[in-house]
Amino acid sequence: MCLGIPGKIIERHEDAGMPMGTVDFGGVTRDVCLAYVTDEVSIGDYVIVHVGFAISKVDEEEARRTFEALQEMSQLDELEWMKDVAQKSLSGMPPERRA
Amino acid sequence: MKYLAEYRNAAVAKALVHRIRQSATRTWTLMEVCGGQTHTIVRQGLNDMLEGAIEMIHGPGCPVCVTPLEQIDRAVHLAGRDDIIFTSFGDMLRVPGSDCDLLQVRARGGEVRVVYSPLDALELARKNPDKQVVFFAVGFETTAPANAMAVWRARELGVTNFSVLVSHVTVPPAMVALLESPDNRVQAFLAAGHVCTVMGWTEYEPIAAKYRVPIIVTGFEPVDILEGTLMAVQQLEEGRHEVENQYVRSVRREGNRPAQELVSKVFTLVNRKWRGIGEIPMSGFGLTEEFAAFDAERKFGLEDIRAEESPECRAGDVLVGRIKPMECPAFGTRCNPEHPLGAPMVSSEGACAAYYNFARFRSAPPLEV
Repeated sequence: MCLGIPGKIIERHEDAGMPMGTVDFGGVTRDVCLAYVTDEVSIGDYVIVHVGFAISKVDEEEARRTFEALQEMSQLDELEWMKDVAQKSLSGMPPERRA
Repeated sequence: MKYLAEYRNAAVAKALVHRIRQSATRTWTLMEVCGGQTHTIVRQGLNDMLEGAIEMIHGPGCPVCVTPLEQIDRAVHLAGRDDIIFTSFGDMLRVPGSDCDLLQVRARGGEVRVVYSPLDALELARKNPDKQVVFFAVGFETTAPANAMAVWRARELGVTNFSVLVSHVTVPPAMVALLESPDNRVQAFLAAGHVCTVMGWTEYEPIAAKYRVPIIVTGFEPVDILEGTLMAVQQLEEGRHEVENQYVRSVRREGNRPAQELVSKVFTLVNRKWRGIGEIPMSGFGLTEEFAAFDAERKFGLEDIRAEESPECRAGDVLVGRIKPMECPAFGTRCNPEHPLGAPMVSSEGACAAYYNFARFRSAPPLEV
């Protein structure tokens, strides 16, 4: 559960004062909170993301290697939750609850 | 990839196994306190490859597995209420409570939703002002900054229909409890890489010194674990007992300061029950008085929900290394991933599930080294 997934910051924005970014995880993108790494990252950097929060910056080669290792070890549970939740928010929720 | 033979870095791993075996003049007993590491060790058969040199005890490193039964019962109670949307990480849904699990509550009509992040749960609360949204805040120190931020933001944004059912645990007090136990056999620890990414490793230094036990901050890939193991063996053979960092690519000694600061504003150390182990003093995070309004236990008056664990489940003995999962009489028969008696059989990071899925039929080391 403490694994986290490496991804690439492709965009930065703020949500009511909180530093956020869009992070690309091997083709799956989602909003990630950058509050805990905000001073050390910029667009194009790679971060380890755990339950929607970047917890550390890593270099590109390391990120790629870790992502592949997680894939090989079937330890991308977090990515599965992410996809699962993304799909539900598009199709599974009753219309009145859609964003 | 079931076995190391299929792993890209098999050659590096084999060389490390060889060096560990050469360095060890006796069998040393190591404990990892990270479910991700447990998964890797059992799945790749690292424990088999090191047999004779290293005995690996799979410690209480899976937060799903150590969440106490009564917290599950409280979650089940909340999830069954009409006015509540109960939100959780996916791996908590099948953990058995006294009567049922969260998945069964959902099947009966309870509104239970899997979220990826606690911020998703907060968002759900903002979009459903007529409902109470409760998030099941479990995890080790790695997850605490995320859950702390959700609570912090809820207050900042004035979201009053959001609360958290907290069952946070912290690693160092569990290590101390194990080391203080009269039947302790642990001679060195592999500390969890991402826990230390957040917290750093300064709090492990007094433990290493006092109990004369090497502690190696370690990643979760096979090569990381073997490197960490080698570092531990070298210390043990040389009579050293220090904190060393194998996982340098992610961990700094001081950890992630901004994350620690927010965690310390929202959470305070509390006594916490660990499933199968019992209460460990000051071993968990609870919300501070300042954030009491976001505490689901207080908000919904859950203190009266208490539970005793099934005596048939020997999770506690597994988590402290008294028995291996396969030595439990219920293993694979009355307890399996489809019908688990205890949490270590549920989570993919639990020791029992790892042995059930990957090591049950293994009779010989999977790789010649």
